Amino acid sequence: MNAMGRLVKAEMKLMVRDPLVLTFVFVFPIVTMLIIGGAFGTTPTPAFENTNPSHWYVASYLTVTIAAGGLVMLPVHLASYRERGVLRRFTAAGFPRWSFAIAQLIVGLITVTAACALLLAVAAPVYGIPPVHGAWRVVAALVLGAVAFVSIGVLLGTLLPSARSAQAVGLLIFFPSFLLGAGGPPPHVMGHMVKAVAGPLPLTQLTDAVRDPWLGIGHATGSLLVVAAMAVAATAIAARRAAL
Amino acid sequence: MTKSDVVTVRGLRKAYRDRVVVDGLDLDVHAGEILGLTGANGAGKTTTVECIQGLRRPDSGTLSVLGFDPVTQAARMRRLLGSQLQDSALPDRLRVAEAVELFAQHQARHGDELLMRFGLAARRKSAFSSLSGGERQRLFLVLALLNQPRLVILDELTQGLDPAARRNVWDAIRQLHADGTTVLLVTHEMVEAEALCDRIVVMRDGGVLDSGTPAELVARHANVAMVHFTWPDPPAALLEELKVLSGVRGVKRSAARITVVGSRATIAHVGAVLVRYGSVPADLDVQVPSLDDAMLTLLNGAPGQAGTAPVTDGQLIGGRR
Repeated sequence: MNAMGRLVKAEMKLMVRDPLVLTFVFVFPIVTMLIIGGAFGTTPTPAFENTNPSHWYVASYLTVTIAAGGLVMLPVHLASYRERGVLRRFTAAGFPRWSFAIAQLIVGLITVTAACALLLAVAAPVYGIPPVHGAWRVVAALVLGAVAFVSIGVLLGTLLPSARSAQAVGLLIFFPSFLLGAGGPPPHVMGHMVKAVAGPLPLTQLTDAVRDPWLGIGHATGSLLVVAAMAVAATAIAARRAAL
Repeated sequence: MTKSDVVTVRGLRKAYRDRVVVDGLDLDVHAGEILGLTGANGAGKTTTVECIQGLRRPDSGTLSVLGFDPVTQAARMRRLLGSQLQDSALPDRLRVAEAVELFAQHQARHGDELLMRFGLAARRKSAFSSLSGGERQRLFLVLALLNQPRLVILDELTQGLDPAARRNVWDAIRQLHADGTTVLLVTHEMVEAEALCDRIVVMRDGGVLDSGTPAELVARHANVAMVHFTWPDPPAALLEELKVLSGVRGVKRSAARITVVGSRATIAHVGAVLVRYGSVPADLDVQVPSLDDAMLTLLNGAPGQAGTAPVTDGQLIGGRR
């Protein structure tokens, strides 16, 4: 197996042994989805663009999983590696320059894919999985969003000086994004100011790009383009920053 | 760089902001030798080694490691290099066997054999975080040797090891040497340097202070030996003869206790005189200068005073200076 394959294999094992990953990427989105998804009933209302509120949250919470992976899991993981000299050891051992960055992207994508699948598996018997109206747009948004947030996570991990600071900053970005952009109240019930703050958030853009075509609310082409731009920019910068 | 040089460094300079850490350093590591790099804390040893490993980019100077430029050809160079770094770790939850699997390249030798050799076979399934300091050091050594490197760089390798583990590691380094592997050993332990190194380079303030074999360094910087023995009422002729022996710097008498201070050769001459006088005292004791003494002299800049108490005129009862 080549260096990249060995890194991906080892990193996958480490991810599933990490309680922070299990808690934030796998457990937290499912638990909150079950609570919030049941809080507003199943009757379509204008606040939820005339869709079933439970389905609204099932579609939205996939992006919570992606954000948790990118904003909480990866920054802590990478900052801890940098802080403790693990990256220097990889470098000195002759791992190819781009292998670590690409391995992190691959592992991040596999992790959020697995977490999304688990979330849907739990949601299906409880709230049902809403029919997907714009499948290609949803898939494109999920893939691009996962790439964007995983890259943002890698970037944060290379910029923040320690695992503790990465955890603090990651949570500080994650929770407001989560409440305003995916897992909190729908935009229709938000005040003008809050809506103005929530609108441009990366997670809001991603959630719109996934949820709207999924539930048939709209195409959200603008949001999809924003997510695509984020994916390209964040990946380019993260790959450079995480090169060994 | 000659054909037999594995590492050649010329005019290496490295500064961190306005603090110059390595200043115009020249260094050669010959093929098949164990070269010790030593010096006080902050002398620039680790920075030098990191430049050689391609982990830091020099501000100026040229480096050649195994025929490669560590800055522009780092990837190719590192395939032939085994490194044990001073400050680094592995992921906490990575198990010993997984670490071996992760770091093993195509040409790697069997990891289990190395784990067995360094007493880690029983810890194959243990997480890195559960290893003791000594076990971690031994694992780093396993990883450094795993890919059959041509050059091994070991930075403070035996720090934290118990005496038995240290001996085990020394044996492994000797075996590497016997196999023809070149070793660059950064160490503060002079006992270790003396036991292992063919040559030692002493650094201070980012430059080379002196270099040579351990014996050469001792001869240059700590060539003061002492011979002690007890002889109640020694004949005056004996004392006179001791004073004029070749290499003797002084003879001190305190009641029946006699101390002869001089070069290492003094030991043999004093022995010969005592034999001629028909008696070798039972408490004859010889204090030979060590590499540690030579380092103290070198690093403190006070030649001739290492390894022995300073010999003052007031203590001397005779002898040549």
